[in-house]
Amino acid sequence: MKKIILILVGVLLSAFAGYADQVSDGSDIKKARHHMVQATIKDRGILDPRVLEAMQTVPRHRFVPDNLLTAAYADQPLPIGEGQTISQPYVVALMTEILGLTRNQRVLEIGTGSGYQAAVLAEVVNPVYTIEIKEKLYHRASKTLKLLGYDNVNTRHSDGYFGWPEAAPFDAIMITAAIDHIPPPLLKQLKEGGRLTLPLGNPFSYQNLVLVTKKDGDLIVKQITGVLFVPMTGHALKKPAP
Amino acid sequence: MIFSAVFLIGFSTLAFEVLLARIFSITQWNHLSFMVIGIALFGFAASGTFLSIFNIRRGDRRPQSGSNRQAITIWVALYASTTLLAFVAVNNLPLDYFRLPVEPVQSLYVLAAFVVLALPFFFSGGMVAFAYTRMPENSGLIYFATMCGSACGAVFPALLLPFLNEGQLVVVFALTPLLVVPVSSVHLPGIRRAETRQQSLQIRWTIFCCFIVCAALFLVSPYGQRLIEVQPSPYKTLFQVLQFPETRIKQTFNTIRGRTDRVSSPYIRFAPGLSLRAMESPAPQGAIFKDGDNQLVLHPPDARQSVQFATYTLPYSGYALHPGAQNALVILQNGGSAMACVLAAGIHDITLVAENPVSAEIISRHYGREVVSRPPRSFLSRIGKQFDIIHVENWGTSIPGSAALNQDHLYTSDAFCQYLKHLTPDGVIIVSRRLLLPPADSLRLWAAAYEGLKKTAAKNPASHLAILRNWDTFVLLISKQPLRNTARLKAFATERNFDMVFLAGMVSDQANRFNQFDAPYHFIEIDRLVAAYREGTENAYFRSYLLDVRPQSDNRPFPGRYLKWSKVKSLYRTLGSRLYALLMSGEIVVMVVFIEALLISGLLLVLPLFFVRRRIQKPSRAQVLYFFGVGAGFMFVELFFIKKYILLLGDPVISFSVVVAGVLIFSSLGGAWAQKKEKSALKTALLILLGTLLVTYVALDPLVQLLLHTAPIWQYAVALLVLGPIGFLMGLPFTIGMRDMLSSAAQRAYAWSANGCASVLASIASAQIALMFGIGFILGCAIVAYGVVFFSWQQMNKN
Repeated sequence: MKKIILILVGVLLSAFAGYADQVSDGSDIKKARHHMVQATIKDRGILDPRVLEAMQTVPRHRFVPDNLLTAAYADQPLPIGEGQTISQPYVVALMTEILGLTRNQRVLEIGTGSGYQAAVLAEVVNPVYTIEIKEKLYHRASKTLKLLGYDNVNTRHSDGYFGWPEAAPFDAIMITAAIDHIPPPLLKQLKEGGRLTLPLGNPFSYQNLVLVTKKDGDLIVKQITGVLFVPMTGHALKKPAP
Repeated sequence: MIFSAVFLIGFSTLAFEVLLARIFSITQWNHLSFMVIGIALFGFAASGTFLSIFNIRRGDRRPQSGSNRQAITIWVALYASTTLLAFVAVNNLPLDYFRLPVEPVQSLYVLAAFVVLALPFFFSGGMVAFAYTRMPENSGLIYFATMCGSACGAVFPALLLPFLNEGQLVVVFALTPLLVVPVSSVHLPGIRRAETRQQSLQIRWTIFCCFIVCAALFLVSPYGQRLIEVQPSPYKTLFQVLQFPETRIKQTFNTIRGRTDRVSSPYIRFAPGLSLRAMESPAPQGAIFKDGDNQLVLHPPDARQSVQFATYTLPYSGYALHPGAQNALVILQNGGSAMACVLAAGIHDITLVAENPVSAEIISRHYGREVVSRPPRSFLSRIGKQFDIIHVENWGTSIPGSAALNQDHLYTSDAFCQYLKHLTPDGVIIVSRRLLLPPADSLRLWAAAYEGLKKTAAKNPASHLAILRNWDTFVLLISKQPLRNTARLKAFATERNFDMVFLAGMVSDQANRFNQFDAPYHFIEIDRLVAAYREGTENAYFRSYLLDVRPQSDNRPFPGRYLKWSKVKSLYRTLGSRLYALLMSGEIVVMVVFIEALLISGLLLVLPLFFVRRRIQKPSRAQVLYFFGVGAGFMFVELFFIKKYILLLGDPVISFSVVVAGVLIFSSLGGAWAQKKEKSALKTALLILLGTLLVTYVALDPLVQLLLHTAPIWQYAVALLVLGPIGFLMGLPFTIGMRDMLSSAAQRAYAWSANGCASVLASIASAQIALMFGIGFILGCAIVAYGVVFFSWQQMNKN
């Protein structure tokens, strides 16, 4: 009888250990993350070493639902519930890189979602402010960020439309929620020379990035057509009219 | 009993189909529901295959009438229980199309959805096929009962939806055919012994009572109600908005046109095209959602100050071009910022058109203004008034590509021609849309407006047009006279940091100043298109461009369709080689479903042939072609009229209800009439049918244009009248064929299967045909199908 109990305990422990290895930062996970950084981020032109390091450090699998753990390091967006997604790693890296951040800059993120983007930003700058309007997502992301020790991320449950006036001005603002216009209060909270970025399009089909730069009072919008769909655009324009 | 059973089954099945389409419109998107329902309908054909094999194996023995009643009870009970099961299962299945590529279990859910949804159609088709095989001499009456029932099923959901929600109606309609079960127990002449009769009575009443209790559980108990509650997809805008604090649905209206939810929230601020220079934020807005998407916002109605932000939006450029505008026509499909513009411009004489009566009522109460609830094109045809501003607003759905199948007559060259006729000499048409890359919508709409201007004899159409953009939206402006105040327009754009995309005489420096792309893609493409029109090589341009951006006409009104099949490979690559990204496009879904349908049809038609032992049981090639042609022809005609009448009746659902009910009623009369006729009557009937279809092909378009000028009552009356002779004649070939051209139950069941396969294939093909070649081509296919029927009939007679 004792033997049976011992065997059962052994089986349970090994299963638990396997699961724990999966959700903690086991060697397989590290390999997968390394491959993700190398193949889908670095090879596609992201060269900022601090962004690459951040992508290498943040355990993306801790921000995705358990049933999608195996796809955590694939280069694709994943549903995280509530009709929301965690962006594909390349988009996260690109959005972080184009803000041109330095260590002591203040960054505001609108739309915390899973908290993954905030964690990546927190590896690059200090401090990070992130706002989520949806209560369930706010609690979930705050808990994950706290568990992972991201103390330099300040989370808030409120309407991101009005930004975070008490912490303004910001060197950079990142909007990760779907919007139809850039809220005027956010532009007011952007420093002179500051940058604001947001993705356009649907995460499941194609996306472009928009980068707004505040310079001498002017606001210049640049579309970074580098996420997807570029080959087609380029191809379309190469073909001369008959 | 058999006639009432097929009537009720026909009634329930069509009502279920209509409700399923409704439910999927809320829980998913139209094109995804198309995929599931399209395949599920093969249940009909599968029932024929099953009965065919069954009859072959039992040797076509004619059963006693008592066993008929038992069989009917079983078919009906199976239909009712599987309908409930299918609905509850699909409504609660954690199916998420977006998880398909990353969660293998989702493939199982899709398969489960196909299978459970096919079951009710299998038992429904089985019941009707059973009736034909058991009583071939009464084919006309069976056809009459089935078609009458189906016609009622097409109409009843529309009548009852304001009183019961979609889930409750599915339960009620699923159980309706059970009415025949207790009724059938009153007389059972086939059963001799009193004891057996008593037992049979008890069993049937028990079955009936079980289902009633089951229905009560769904309709009354909180748990049952949760199971049948239809929730919008979490990816739809409504679900997202409801996650905001203090946000709630104030009212929900269920009609056959869709579910309309009125939402109040302090967090909705919709202002597409808002300049980065805007200092004012829009005030919090209310919103209306149709089927969980298509947000239409409601601005505070009383204070002009609350809409001042609109003067910094792109569409306001049209108002800036005509500052003295006295009146405006606003066509609201979704969005709602057009209302902010017109209020900010201080225009008092506003004609508001919102086609959906529920939305119109809400908008009317909110703004305290009269709102016209009619199809906009039909409304315009009936009035002579001219407007200084015509503002058409529709920003599209929340998933790009999902609108590819949507038929919309507001953006065709014919529509622009009509708008121009209702414009004062200095008037401006404003069309605001999302900016797509690669350039697509902007090119198509520019070309459609250009064609419209050409039809109104404008000497230099390009000089009447302008396009401005910001980072994610554009506005197309069309003036009746060549644009004069171009300096004003340029100043408006510069002040608000908007870029010009097209304006006669502009230079490329103005195209990419404030909202910079790597290159001014939209300007470059429009410039090429303008050059092509100037040189008369526009067709070559449209052929060579990567996307289909040809201007749409009323015969091919699919403004959201851009796919070119020859370029699918490069499209796939540019979407990151992700198959599911392609599946977001409605047109790709249609093709995938058609291929699946072809495979299933092949299987269902080949399978029974393996069981054939005697020559008499085997259907001839002519027989198969005959019933295949009848099924395809019938469906092509139905789909042609549904799509054609959308221009006239406005809403696709209304068009569907009118056409399906009309065609089914008239064809049921044809079937009943054929009951008394010899088979020789068919030759004349088929020739008249072919002639009538040819006349329809030529005369329907002018007739519809004529009807647009008449009152709705006349539109409905004439629309039904046109369906009369065609529907009546289409009721003959199936009835006479079933009765006189087949010799065994196995053959009849096989013919039912062929007819079912053809119906499903034709309905899927119609969607693709309309997209690629235009709606008229569907009728051409119907003529070919009935031509095949005619020649097959002649072949059978020779044999």
